[in-house]
Amino acid sequence: MHHLDPQPPPCESESEPKALIQLRQVVKRYRSAGGEFTALKGISLDIYPGELVGIVGKSGAGKTTLVNMITGIDHPTSGEILVNGVAIHKMNENQLALWRGRTVGVIYQNFQLMPTLSLLNNIMLPMDFCGLWQRRISAERALELLRAVELEDHAYKLPSAISGGQQQRVAIARALANDPPILIADEPTGRLDSVTAETIFQIFIRLVEAGKTLVMVTHDESLACRASRVIHIADGQITGDSRPRGEGEP
Amino acid sequence: MIRPRWYKVLADLWGNRVRSSLVIASIAVGLFAIGIILTLHTILQRDMRSGYAAIHPANMEMSVLSLRTTTLEKVRGVAGVQNAEAARVFNLRAKARSGEWVTITLNAFPDIKNKKINRPKLEEGNWPPHKRQIAIDRYKLDELGCNVGDWLELELPDGSIRTMQVSGVIQDQSIGASGSGGGFFMAPAQGYISADSLGWLGQPEAYNQLYVAVADHAEDEEHIRLVADRVRKTIEKNGGVVLSQSVRASDNHPNSSYTLAISNVLIVLGALVVVLSGFLITNTFQALLVQQVGQIGIMKTIGGRSQQIIAIYLSLIFIFGVLAFALALPLANWASRGLLKFLAGQINMELQEFRPVPAAAFLMLGLALIVPQAAGFLPILNGVRISVQEATSGIRQTGKTSRPSRLEQRLLHLRRAPRPLLVSLRNTFRSKGRLALTLITLSLGGAIFIATFNVRTSIDDYVTRVGKYFLADINLTLERPYHVREIQKSLEALPEVKMVEGWASARAEILRSDNLVADSTTILAPPADSPLVQPILLEGRWVSAGDHNAIAISERFSDILPGIGPGDTLRLRINGQETRWTVVGRFQLVGKSGGYVAYTSFENLNRTVGYANRTNTFRVVASQPGLTLQGQKELGRKIESYLKSQGYNVKEAAAGLTLNENTTTGLDVLTTFLLIMALLTALVGSIGLMGTMSLNVMERTREIGVLRAIGASDGKVIQIVIVEGLLIGIISWALAFLLSFPISKLMSDAVFMALFDASWRSSFTPIGSVIWLAAALLLSAVASILPARNAARLTIREVLAYE
Ligand SMILES: Nc1ncnc2c1ncn2[C@@H]1O[C@H](COP(=O)(O)OP(=O)(O)OP(=O)(O)O)[C@@H](O)[C@H]1O
Ligand SMILES: [Mg+2]
Repeated sequence: MHHLDPQPPPCESESEPKALIQLRQVVKRYRSAGGEFTALKGISLDIYPGELVGIVGKSGAGKTTLVNMITGIDHPTSGEILVNGVAIHKMNENQLALWRGRTVGVIYQNFQLMPTLSLLNNIMLPMDFCGLWQRRISAERALELLRAVELEDHAYKLPSAISGGQQQRVAIARALANDPPILIADEPTGRLDSVTAETIFQIFIRLVEAGKTLVMVTHDESLACRASRVIHIADGQITGDSRPRGEGEP
Repeated sequence: MIRPRWYKVLADLWGNRVRSSLVIASIAVGLFAIGIILTLHTILQRDMRSGYAAIHPANMEMSVLSLRTTTLEKVRGVAGVQNAEAARVFNLRAKARSGEWVTITLNAFPDIKNKKINRPKLEEGNWPPHKRQIAIDRYKLDELGCNVGDWLELELPDGSIRTMQVSGVIQDQSIGASGSGGGFFMAPAQGYISADSLGWLGQPEAYNQLYVAVADHAEDEEHIRLVADRVRKTIEKNGGVVLSQSVRASDNHPNSSYTLAISNVLIVLGALVVVLSGFLITNTFQALLVQQVGQIGIMKTIGGRSQQIIAIYLSLIFIFGVLAFALALPLANWASRGLLKFLAGQINMELQEFRPVPAAAFLMLGLALIVPQAAGFLPILNGVRISVQEATSGIRQTGKTSRPSRLEQRLLHLRRAPRPLLVSLRNTFRSKGRLALTLITLSLGGAIFIATFNVRTSIDDYVTRVGKYFLADINLTLERPYHVREIQKSLEALPEVKMVEGWASARAEILRSDNLVADSTTILAPPADSPLVQPILLEGRWVSAGDHNAIAISERFSDILPGIGPGDTLRLRINGQETRWTVVGRFQLVGKSGGYVAYTSFENLNRTVGYANRTNTFRVVASQPGLTLQGQKELGRKIESYLKSQGYNVKEAAAGLTLNENTTTGLDVLTTFLLIMALLTALVGSIGLMGTMSLNVMERTREIGVLRAIGASDGKVIQIVIVEGLLIGIISWALAFLLSFPISKLMSDAVFMALFDASWRSSFTPIGSVIWLAAALLLSAVASILPARNAARLTIREVLAYE
């Protein structure tokens, strides 16, 4: 039985907390018609369980490229990526898909819901793919997740029939379908107005409080500084890594 | 509750019904065509054999001088003979409803009630005809214009009139079996009477035709020839003379060469259509799957593995295939049934009860299940291989980000071209793989369509060419022979007559080296160097003046005397006397259904047979050149009444063009059939074109939305899409035009080989290409406008949500 409920909180008493996500000298080079372009220039980074990491930087800095490394959506040119002790840079596409489905929930700027499926089916699809689908139980869980984002009344609508903010909430519910420990969001509020963005951010805070680890790319400085940790990227390199604990929190 | 992934399959199917219908139609139309082709091919071959065997056909047919009833009894006792029947066969003239006198062959049978050989099938009225009644074969019924119960006026040789009541309409599949008189299509109207009526019609009650069925090995013509030799000896021992003999296997319908020709065309068409629908299906699924790249990316993001995603799309394709099959199968059976009925009526065959052909259904099912899967697999694999990041990054990059090709650049720099045209040009050439696939599909469909028209023209061309064997305006037959010079002098006194030739003719048995009779031939003997025959020579030369016993033979002789050619000796038995001829040439006539024909000169035949310069057949050329059929008929009537006034009895004065017409009716059946096949391929091509175009435009719904968002008016958007549609239409047409030449050659060879064992020059007609150009332009415009209009109607929000 899956729940939105908190997992046992990370053991803070340990002297040396173990990193959940580890990047070691990650380089990403794109080859295109115009020649080679290095989007990530040897990034090393540790992200710990329960962190809410905000990634900020100018457009083209390499933020999306960085989070794509963590989700396994893109492969590094060199370097190592360990998530929960698993070396994902060594996995093939199929292993990655299954691993990602169970371990990482991905949230996009443009929601990326399946246009022909109802909201309920959209949420159940990851369960189906990752072998966690069970008749009736899955639907119950999906409804529960929809309730958590306050959209259970729309369960049987198509994505095109609801607003952008609502679609993003469905996308979050879908990201949680397999109860993954990690959530990665690439500019989740980029297309939303500030009020809607705020509700999405509130959901994120609740999720982190419930024990999830969340990495969020954002342009919105006011949101970023409410994260437990802010990483600045410029020109494919980390230029700043701060923990403004408590600052800006209401 | 079904799994969400299968729900996606159903949602894709049902969610965009227009697109699903297009995909299903594209698959179904190919299956439909293939189903028809295979069904026709199988049933024509099968039913023509079994239908003919079912009438218990004669295996040999002999014209005999003074055939006595006692001889008939003896023939029945000959080893290997199962049954024998006699008949009196003769020609009279009957008055058609139009008032015209047309030739009718009367077949009088002594015990017509118990007729066992060549059993007729009653279509209407009663069988057998009683005394003074007549049954008529259905094929030339229209020519006579009479119905059951009507009275038919017959003119006897002495000029007196008898009236017989039409008691029934029958189908006689044995017409043309002996090959005398040019086979089925040349045969006059056929009437069937009881021998009781003979005396009343002024005929002697003596039989001149013998029909024999063999006891066994009825499919083996060599065996039949051996039995025939014993029959002949029996007849001769009893004082009879065999004038001609022909043999025919029980499963060899007189018009089987036409079904063979049709089947050959069907095989060529079938192979082409299989390729065509393969491309069509591939193209359709390419179009369908390109639209799915984004969704594939999402599914991979949320944990979908390649096998799972591939399974989703293969299931979708499977359902499309099954639905298309379910649609195409009944339609193909229905259409095949109609086509078969039409063809059967045209070539005098009898259809058995229609049963769907399992092989056709299996092939359709196989194609429905395998081709779409094969066609879809590669695009699916490509879609699945695209990285998640590429697939989900808002703007889709189709293909690789390569530099524009030189052609594209050139197109982009067409300065003076209007703007929408430029956009269209760039769109058209953007995805080269897809464009190539679309073009191949459309041009192949178009090329087959155009080719069928060309083949039709080839046949027409051949028909015209064959007409040059029959150049006279009037073919005159008198009741008895006259000296040639006498009739010439008499007729040339008429101002309407330019020239008269006396032609001799004879029936002869073709002897093989083992002295068995291979078959019988008609010998035609115009004066040497007659301008009224322009032969199509296959080898050697024509008979000329001064040749001694020279003879030219038709293409069919090679069937019974393999390898015969110029310089060889041909032994012919005429009126029971063996004669020797030197073959000087081989010519092409109307092929296998037409019987054996040989030409020599009047002088040669006259000397050999001893006609003493007398004949009863004359060819008349009118003073006025280029007479129409109507003009010829008028001249015929004039000549007839003139000759009657001079005291001659005319048997027939037939217009030359009628002969030509009859000769080529068989070929007309083929041209009609080809027209139907052209329509069928046009259907495949059109639906393919519509489907491909529409899918292409649908694929760009989002792009259209963007164009609109940046200020393009609906009119402009539609203009861009139409220009692109027309562009593809025109290019595919040009390719179809080029491709139609080899396909025409392939198809016309298939037809001419089946009929003549020789090829004929392929002709070209602009009709097919013009029709296809119009169709291609119209269809591509329509197929582009509809989805473009839909796309233009969507709000920008809907467009951006569109997948
Ligand atoms: N597939 C690709 N091929 C070539 N270059 C790429 C590709 N994807 C990204 N880049 C380049 O890599 C750099 C980093 O891109 P990335 O998408 O990570 O930027 P970003 O920080 O997410 O920007 P934004 O805030 O606009 O989303 C950019 O300069 C971009 O042009
Ligand atoms: Mg980005």
